[in-house]
Amino acid sequence: MKYAVRALGWATKILWILIIVFSVTSVYSAMNVRMGFGQPQAFFSSGFLVISVPLFVNNTGLYDLSELNMTVAVMDHNESRLSTSATFVSSIPRGSSIETAHNVSVSLDDITSKLLNYLFNDTVFNLDMSLKLNFAHSIPFKVSKNMTMPWGAPLYNFSIGQVSYNFLNFTHQELVAPISFENHSPYFSVDGFMRVEIYNDNGELLGFSISGLNVPSHSGYKGQMETIVDISKVTGSGEGHFFFETSAFNIGPVVMPYG
Amino acid sequence: MVEKGQTKTFARKFVPRIIKAALLVIVTYLPLYFLSALIEPFQSFFPWYAPATSLFAAVFMIFLVVGVFTSGTIYQYVFGVARTLVTMIFFIYVLNGGIVALAVPIQGASVNIMVDLTVILAMIVLICLLGIGKNVVQAIDFVSAKGETKES
Repeated sequence: MKYAVRALGWATKILWILIIVFSVTSVYSAMNVRMGFGQPQAFFSSGFLVISVPLFVNNTGLYDLSELNMTVAVMDHNESRLSTSATFVSSIPRGSSIETAHNVSVSLDDITSKLLNYLFNDTVFNLDMSLKLNFAHSIPFKVSKNMTMPWGAPLYNFSIGQVSYNFLNFTHQELVAPISFENHSPYFSVDGFMRVEIYNDNGELLGFSISGLNVPSHSGYKGQMETIVDISKVTGSGEGHFFFETSAFNIGPVVMPYG
Repeated sequence: MVEKGQTKTFARKFVPRIIKAALLVIVTYLPLYFLSALIEPFQSFFPWYAPATSLFAAVFMIFLVVGVFTSGTIYQYVFGVARTLVTMIFFIYVLNGGIVALAVPIQGASVNIMVDLTVILAMIVLICLLGIGKNVVQAIDFVSAKGETKES
């Protein structure tokens, strides 16, 4: 009986020491792990709106980190989910660091109506970020954070001003339409081409024109579209169909009334 | 003469126990004190920790002192089991059943942290069960030894 009691006593003491040593070294290691999310960036790529969240983990602790799983859900201001994506890193051994970008792609085909809203109106995206990992292969750890990402519309306040006509000859005249917008996007400039097709009230094509765009971030555009139109078809009002082909996005037709 | 002898016996019996109890209380209190001092800056994140620790320390020390004073009787083991049970319940309560969740404000934003300490809690519970087992075995040994002494 005495040996059993002694064995139990030693087992208890050894286990207490192990647990205390493991707890102290774990806390020390956890304090030596640096991790964080960088400032999210947004850009358009191949028909996708890509939101890129930089992630860095520097493990200078005593234990390995494993099964790192980062998940980011993007929601619009109405809390409707636009996209969810995950990044998995199987292991971050002690003394090493990782620096990666977690990309969330939002298909523009799925949200064309919303895309128009994002192109013309400022909004705020909510990012629901979570990071899970296993500490020392035995302690699951989860960090989650909600972030907001302001979205500046690249074609904010896009409008057609008062349309005027310049006389050319007895069959054609030049339709002059002042166009203005502000590029509120902090992420990209609007550079490329804008094509406009002018239609009369009967839906007949009067003419079209193309003009170049080069509008840096946080700056405005004021220009005019000059289109040669057939006098016989002019009704004084109608629709302009705008097509944008820029380095950041391609979209059209965006229909705006004139006159 | 008899009174003097009784006082001597009392002193010989209890003074070592008082010293032992005082030493054990100090040895037990010191780690708790240092742990509390260590986590004091983070105490706002663990509001349940301080009162639970004070209560645990008080109950644990009472059982410890009573255990020392009842040494040589079966009650020593009863209080030993009670002490281990208190330790087990304290850790289950403080570690919130193994899942510790905190909301930490960092740069104006709230960061939610969740740590699953089930493995550590399971080890602590296992150690406590071993401690209870040890006390029970010691109690059985004590009773059987007493029975043998009576028989002889």
